[in-house]
Amino acid sequence: MFDFRFYEIWRSQEFVQALIDGALTSFWLSSIGGCLGFCLGLMLAISQEKSVFWGIRYTARSYIELIRNTPFIVQLFFVAFGLPLLMDYQWSFYASALLAITLNFSAYFAEIVRSGIDSIDKGQIEASKALCLTKRETLMDIVLPQALVKVYPSLVSQFIFLFLTTGLVSEISIEDLTWAGRFISDRNFRDFEVFIVLTVMYMALAWLFKLLLQLLKRYAFPWAEAEI
Amino acid sequence: MNKENLAISISGMSKWYDDFKVLTDIDLSVTFGERIVICGPSGSGKSTLIRCLNHLEEHQKGSIVVDGIELYPGMKNPELVRRTVGMVFQSFNLFPHLTILENCILPQRRALKRSKEQAREVAMKFLERVKIPEQADKYPRQLSGGQQQRVAIARALCMEPKIMLFDEPTSALDPEMVSEVLDTMIELALSGITMLCVTHEMGFARKVADRVIFMDTGQIIESNAPETFFSQPKHPRAKEFLGQIL
Repeated sequence: MFDFRFYEIWRSQEFVQALIDGALTSFWLSSIGGCLGFCLGLMLAISQEKSVFWGIRYTARSYIELIRNTPFIVQLFFVAFGLPLLMDYQWSFYASALLAITLNFSAYFAEIVRSGIDSIDKGQIEASKALCLTKRETLMDIVLPQALVKVYPSLVSQFIFLFLTTGLVSEISIEDLTWAGRFISDRNFRDFEVFIVLTVMYMALAWLFKLLLQLLKRYAFPWAEAEI
Repeated sequence: MNKENLAISISGMSKWYDDFKVLTDIDLSVTFGERIVICGPSGSGKSTLIRCLNHLEEHQKGSIVVDGIELYPGMKNPELVRRTVGMVFQSFNLFPHLTILENCILPQRRALKRSKEQAREVAMKFLERVKIPEQADKYPRQLSGGQQQRVAIARALCMEPKIMLFDEPTSALDPEMVSEVLDTMIELALSGITMLCVTHEMGFARKVADRVIFMDTGQIIESNAPETFFSQPKHPRAKEFLGQIL
């Protein structure tokens, strides 16, 4: 039977600190990237669905396809190493990681929001027309709020999934939770224990996100919670 | 008669869905205050006809003038006509994410630029008129079908239209809820508003209609006062229809 020695992690102040800092970094990168990605995704979905200019629709569609059909690691390296060369400007790796996460999340969110917009009953739009609402008002006041509530569970689960992929940013030396795990196992050689701890911590973070997003839903869409 | 004084004037109007002709040479004049019931078998074009009147559908031939505004395919500002025409749908189409009161307030705020207080006052006035002011803060799905349809009527009335269109307003309702909606519509009809109503409720037609229009295969084939229409329909298709429905 394998001899688990978790104290090889706990006994070092440095290791515990690395795990805490890593978890915080992962949390904040995903939170901020998630918010920015959602805003960008919303704009992409609207441009793709509602823009009167085919150029904008086509660009939005192509962007979404490009991101969704390429690996995150390639996008990350492009943002971290390719873009600085192209633009002759050096960002911090944290900025690059955040940008890559935002761009990556946005395409997935856009696709989900788009499906939500599509699913709204045509009668809602007809009623809006009959009541003289403009197209913009119909979208902002009638269609989007309903679409977002409909796809909210999908957005949450997609976000959780994307959060779990952000460990890849450790490849560009972002000191996130995955990086902390490697940092520790490189020093105490207790890989099994370290990755069990990582598993538990990722799971805890995922639950935390889920809880926060549930609270956000109650706050943002009170009508969806109203009793019948 | 002078066209300007007509609520609705349709002449030689036809409409196609691609190759399929849904409305053929419709001629119809409606004066202000007139109450018209449109009936006919399903697929006869009744709904399409009244949906043309607020430009939810475009016609391809002939002319439609509503309250002095000419409608034409691809018109840029259909809201001009929609401002004077209210519509009630078969499936209510209330906004599920807004309370009853907000359903009535939002269009007034957006389209008529009314203040919050003013919009609220108007909304409550009409919710009282359809007899559900106490439900104002509930959401549509918390109401019965009949109540929802009455809210939809109130919501349309809040825009203070001159003409009201009803597209099978009771067809999606449980039988015991039909009468509460019809009572609201009768009350409305007696107030003198111009009404066009697609319905199979012949009791309603008898009670309030000035004219019953019978449609079949995209044409108006009979147009008469209700007594005449019910007692001695001229067209065999109308006889057959009445035989089935009465």
